[in-house]
Amino acid sequence: MVPVSIQVRQALSKLVLPVLLLMSVGIIIAGQADRPLADKARMRVADVLAPLWGLLSRTQTDSERFVHGIQEARNLAEENHRLSAENANLRRWYEVAVSLARENDALKTELHWVPEPTPAFVTGRVVADSGGIYARAVLLVAGTTSGVQVGNIALASSGLAGRVTEVGAHAARILLITDIASRLPVELESSHAAAIMVGDNSPLPRLLYYSQDTRPIEGERVVTSDQAGAFPSGIPIGSVHYLHPGQPVVQPFARLDRLTMLRVFDFGQSEIEPPEAPGHVPLTRPHRALTLPFKTLLGPGQEG
Amino acid sequence: MSDPRQPRWEHDTETQLTSRQRLDRTARHLLPSVFTALVIIFFSAPVTVPGAAELLPAIVINTIFFWSVWRPSGMPSLAVFLLGLFMDLVGFTPLGVSAFILLLVHGIGSYARFGLMRMNFLVVWCLFGLVGAAAAALQWALACLFRLHLLDPAPAFFEALLCIGVYPLLSATFSWFLHILDEKDTP
Repeated sequence: MVPVSIQVRQALSKLVLPVLLLMSVGIIIAGQADRPLADKARMRVADVLAPLWGLLSRTQTDSERFVHGIQEARNLAEENHRLSAENANLRRWYEVAVSLARENDALKTELHWVPEPTPAFVTGRVVADSGGIYARAVLLVAGTTSGVQVGNIALASSGLAGRVTEVGAHAARILLITDIASRLPVELESSHAAAIMVGDNSPLPRLLYYSQDTRPIEGERVVTSDQAGAFPSGIPIGSVHYLHPGQPVVQPFARLDRLTMLRVFDFGQSEIEPPEAPGHVPLTRPHRALTLPFKTLLGPGQEG
Repeated sequence: MSDPRQPRWEHDTETQLTSRQRLDRTARHLLPSVFTALVIIFFSAPVTVPGAAELLPAIVINTIFFWSVWRPSGMPSLAVFLLGLFMDLVGFTPLGVSAFILLLVHGIGSYARFGLMRMNFLVVWCLFGLVGAAAAALQWALACLFRLHLLDPAPAFFEALLCIGVYPLLSATFSWFLHILDEKDTP
């Protein structure tokens, strides 16, 4: 250590705090100016910490399972009665479902129905709730090595959870539908009317921009719409609920506050391009070549 | 330049330390920072603690304030800076915001420490309440600034209240801990 006088030492130690404060301001500005770099640094840290978080969450699920097991053992008989009654009921529904599926198959064969491609998906454990007060996001242990890409769709067991926004090698960050940055085109199921679901960091995202003649009905199911090309249509999101008159919100089916597993689907939406519609040819003189690609005519937001 | 025979000015504290004592002292100095880092990692995992998002900054602000006032050697500015940066990297806040806020809390704590140490616990608690509320308000203001959108101030209120409410508990724990360390120091 270089020997310095006491005065210099004291002066230096007084300088440390202001210098660090300035540095943090510099980092704030740099992080705002170069967001990809900040995101990359974040994902690197998350990659390193992912196994640790995995360990923590696994310990937690194990202990919860243990406690749950003890609680369950106490009311086994009652549960058994309830389940056998439910089983009888479900068996009836099973018969109905089988006959309906058969009928559906027969009808589809009649109609020469083109089957939709089954989307590829990976399942991962949610290891970190990386959102703070002003953000809602989770971290999933599944990254580019398992085929997760930015823009893929994360589903919980019962409904839509969010979209992949950043991907590392072993971890992916998923922006939940409740985040303030989340805006999704949705469809009200019974009226087929379009609306926008806007997150506001509260557990209940709001419904906006619905048409005034088809207002959302309390309890109506809300599903995704394929309007912007980002989502396939018909993924269940939640049900409409009115907090106050004229202020509809969506109660998500997925329990977004305690996610444990998420399935990430690659619907490959970007590959589907609508065929060029003959009615949409721009008005140009016949001998001049078209300078604009047809894609630009599809309206804003179609490119996904 | 450094001559081993020349008596250094902190001669009385440094020369008679064995390597084990030095290790012990280093561990003691690192302990608050390591504790805070572990708290950050724990709360960023999906724990089922209610209000975890608000509790984490509250605990971190409490810890940093306490150690800045009572034992600044355990919480140097650099450690505060690194902890804040770590919190930003793990969480979703804009990079550097937590570092900035925590450094401010640390600065206030260490600037006012000689005044605060002589005061009654209740007075210190009240003053800390002001600091915590200011930190929560600053966080809210910065979040609004970066989103360019007026956000709901309710979580900031909740965080400030948690910050104030958690203080006696953490303060008692840390004081008890300091007491044990000091007893060990003077057998």
